[in-house]
Amino acid sequence: MSTIVHAIIGYFVLLFTVRVLARRPGGQLTLFEFVIIFLIGGVAIAATVGEDHSMTNCGTGILAVGLMHRLVSWLKERSERFAVIVDGTPLVLLKQGEWQLETMRGMRIDPEDVMAAARSKSVNSIFEVKYAILERNGTISIITHEH
Amino acid sequence: MTNPFTKPVEDTVARVDHEVAVGEDLRFQRSWWRFEKGVWVFFVLVIALDLAGVFGRGPLAKAELQSSDRAVGIRYERIERSGTPSMLTIELGPKAMVDGATHLFVSDNVVGSLGARRVIPEPSSTEIGHGGLTYTFPASRPPASIRLELEPADAGVFSFEIAVPGVDALRAKILVMP
Repeated sequence: MSTIVHAIIGYFVLLFTVRVLARRPGGQLTLFEFVIIFLIGGVAIAATVGEDHSMTNCGTGILAVGLMHRLVSWLKERSERFAVIVDGTPLVLLKQGEWQLETMRGMRIDPEDVMAAARSKSVNSIFEVKYAILERNGTISIITHEH
Repeated sequence: MTNPFTKPVEDTVARVDHEVAVGEDLRFQRSWWRFEKGVWVFFVLVIALDLAGVFGRGPLAKAELQSSDRAVGIRYERIERSGTPSMLTIELGPKAMVDGATHLFVSDNVVGSLGARRVIPEPSSTEIGHGGLTYTFPASRPPASIRLELEPADAGVFSFEIAVPGVDALRAKILVMP
């Protein structure tokens, strides 16, 4: 019982903490940020499972987390507002040759991050980039002038 | 006949410069940044309160209580955490020792809700009754202390009582954090 409650609380605490940490999950995570996410997860596991390491306890904990994830996905599908709160909104970082400084500062993203995304699309110069968009999943989409 | 499993494509995603469909919501993002700042202040506050011991295991969590004639004193943590061990120390003065022995009464909550795991030193005998346990320890002369290792299983506010015969009982409350 307490494991399920802890797992549900842990899921939402993790979701909230990762959401406010910065939107750089997935493709834009640095090695250090990976370590941070794993560290937070490890701490949450310790509080969730406690001293009961039985299969029953761990199994119910996993099921509770899975169910919560399913619930959040369902709510995101139902409500666009909820989806924006959980995943954020796509943000334009570079538009027609101009850095969008308010967004860059707010998201703590450097021009180097945009250039790294551009390089991965075989774009050699930042001047070739017409739009750079920070997507909800944390990746940066690059649209060049050729398009 | 329309197919209920399909839907015509609609251009609903907001465009940037009437060109790229991005769906950016800068107004929401600005409010989110303000909210984030508030959250970080809250996080710092939580850490500061935790370091101070407001959530247990810090200076503010430690408490002491003494009987009016200083025959018995207790040192404990007024804020504890469930599943985390702590120590309740009972200091005994000369009045608490009679005929080479000390009889110490602890209320049921100490063993039940507060989860007393161990009594150090081990009592020579234990008697049940009056809503608690009475331990008997051979005792010579003060200063002397008895330690109870606590490990509460559940969160809540629990009151307890510690007493020796002929001395005012000490009553206190412990908040157990989840």
